Amino acid sequence: MDKKSFKGYLYLLPSIIIMVCFTLYPLVRAIIMSFLGDYSIINDSYNSIGFENYKALFSDPDFGKSLINTAIYVVCVVPASIILSLLFAVLINSCKKLKALFQTIYFLPYVTSVIAIGIVWRWMFNSNYGLINYVLSIFGVEPIQWLNLPEYAMPALIIFAIWKSMAFNILIFLAGLQTIPEDLYRAARIDSTPRLRVFTRITVPSLAPMIVYSSVIGMIGAFKVYNEVFSLFQGKAGPANSAMTIVYYIYDKFYNSYKYGVAAAGSVVLFLIILALTQIQLKVTGGRKK
Amino acid sequence: MKMKKLGASILATIMAASMLAGCGQSSNQTAETSADAQASETTEVAADASTAAGETAGEKTIEPTEITFWHYMTGNLEETLTALTDEFNSTNEYGITVTLVNQGYASDLQTKLQASAAADALPDLTQAYNNWLTPYLDKIVHLDDFVANDFDNWDDIVEAYRGECSEFGFVHAVPFNKSTYVLFYNKTLFDELGIEAPKTWADVEADAKIVSDAKGIAFIGYDDSTGAIEATLKQNGESFVDETGALFDTDGGREAFEYLSNLYSNGYARLVGEDGYFSNVISNQNIASYVGSSAGVSYITAEGWELGVAPLPGNKVNAANMAGTNIVMFSQDTNKQLAAWEYLKFLTSTESTSKWAVSTGYLPVRQSAYETAEYKAYMEENICAAACYEQSKDFFYSPTFDASNDIRNSVSPAFEQLVLDKADAQTWFDTILSTINAQY
Repeated sequence: MDKKSFKGYLYLLPSIIIMVCFTLYPLVRAIIMSFLGDYSIINDSYNSIGFENYKALFSDPDFGKSLINTAIYVVCVVPASIILSLLFAVLINSCKKLKALFQTIYFLPYVTSVIAIGIVWRWMFNSNYGLINYVLSIFGVEPIQWLNLPEYAMPALIIFAIWKSMAFNILIFLAGLQTIPEDLYRAARIDSTPRLRVFTRITVPSLAPMIVYSSVIGMIGAFKVYNEVFSLFQGKAGPANSAMTIVYYIYDKFYNSYKYGVAAAGSVVLFLIILALTQIQLKVTGGRKK
Repeated sequence: MKMKKLGASILATIMAASMLAGCGQSSNQTAETSADAQASETTEVAADASTAAGETAGEKTIEPTEITFWHYMTGNLEETLTALTDEFNSTNEYGITVTLVNQGYASDLQTKLQASAAADALPDLTQAYNNWLTPYLDKIVHLDDFVANDFDNWDDIVEAYRGECSEFGFVHAVPFNKSTYVLFYNKTLFDELGIEAPKTWADVEADAKIVSDAKGIAFIGYDDSTGAIEATLKQNGESFVDETGALFDTDGGREAFEYLSNLYSNGYARLVGEDGYFSNVISNQNIASYVGSSAGVSYITAEGWELGVAPLPGNKVNAANMAGTNIVMFSQDTNKQLAAWEYLKFLTSTESTSKWAVSTGYLPVRQSAYETAEYKAYMEENICAAACYEQSKDFFYSPTFDASNDIRNSVSPAFEQLVLDKADAQTWFDTILSTINAQY
């Protein structure tokens, strides 16, 4: 190792130490914990070593439900959020005068506490006084029991989450839009290319790296959904646990049921799912770029 | 190029990993409803307080020391606790200073205690529900010798509280902010329809029909659904669960579920749903009455109608859930144990507990406090306190054991599903029974 690279590593040292302490060590611990039967974090005791926790996990119908709910959530929220954010970003970008204002407005959800937003959305979803049902009633739709009935709990959560995750995506896309050379648009104008074509042939391909980035980050975030559930359903997992997600399940097992091993096993499963999917995602999108 | 891809993979991996590190933050219990399942598992004894208490019999020598007390009291409750603690700090003869540390909501305190137990950094004293304690029961100081040698009449403490504070086979706590479930009702509506607060299940059904026919709103709701099942069983002379399994596979048990099933399928009872707590529902006059913690009375806004409070209706017998936390000691140091005990004696004295009760609306922990002029005057003005007192002989506490948390957590969603399905009594009974027995 030459002197130069040694210096480089020295600069990295602080963040490496932090990462080892707060990311790598807990990761290893969680993996170890997941194999210890009846593990107690209080005195580090356990009864057995093996797959006991994983067996308990996969035989628990609640975990199955949380996997399905999380999958639905990811599949709905991530693409919808990216498509809508892309449209909004282009709209905001085209409106030169009020761009700064709209940029701020659309970024607000990102800097506001999820709990506070949750309270507002709870009111908007209210079956009697809610804004959403009011708007729907104009079109003759009967009041929907968004937060009262299990079948509407996931849709409500997804709508809330799409809106919330748009803020970050819009910011990324707006930044991306600035980097597209104006020449391309000028050339398109000279050829009087239709707008839709400009969008699909210039804007979207130029934003491809941002879209990949957003989808990876968005997917990881969506798999870890917890705050949204907590705030929308006032600390519960929806009516009759109908909006139980994986992280909610993990949290519940850890803090409320004291099943530390099962919680660890759940987080390892989630980790593996996210790891596998992000690898696939990076492969697919990376391959297309070449 | 390859390096870049590798970098991206690592980044993604780390981001994915970060969720393993900490998915912490508040949990799903709130002060108002977290009714406290409690317990009956005898665990091996750890901290031995006998030497400490032994010394108290003779001449007391306590070195000046500082005691940390974790609590979750806010607003007026915190002010009252602070005032009492200041009084103790300035008047005790040993130079003991008690430092109050607010840990947020009850659920935050629960989380913090669990983490502190793992790090072996528990406070000297803390408020706690029994069902929080099962993971670190062996770290609790046994108070039996203190109670036996240095306490002014333990028998004066309300009987059910004494039971709750010694359910692990030793005295593990002293009662502090206690409350009970009562029936809050819209008195104006009741008067208008010519009905009275129900005393029995039959009254509930009759009143509910009148309200439902006249107003089209539900009659009753329960903030704590698991607690509702437990109380309903007790009111029918049955038991809910113990460490061996569900105990209500009897005719009386089936009757209890028939009662609940009928209430919900007839629309006489409803779920709280999006409103969160029934205090909101009754404030908007969308329900005639509800069962909730007496500590939640301040959340009810009675504008344009008058609030009534009554003991819970019974059937074969009366039975009412208890709620609220007790104070637990963790000090390992003998001197600190003695000092902390001085503070606990002070807080549970007749004078302090009645002062606390009058100012906060919690219940006095001593029988003698109910007899004080101060508290008697308070009860005359405060209908909630009067109703609580009326049923204080009917208090019961939920046992705590390994599966008791899981039972609470799994019965509530099952309850909601049964209501939404408008299930019949048999389905109610079967579902709740199998849900509970699956937790062992």
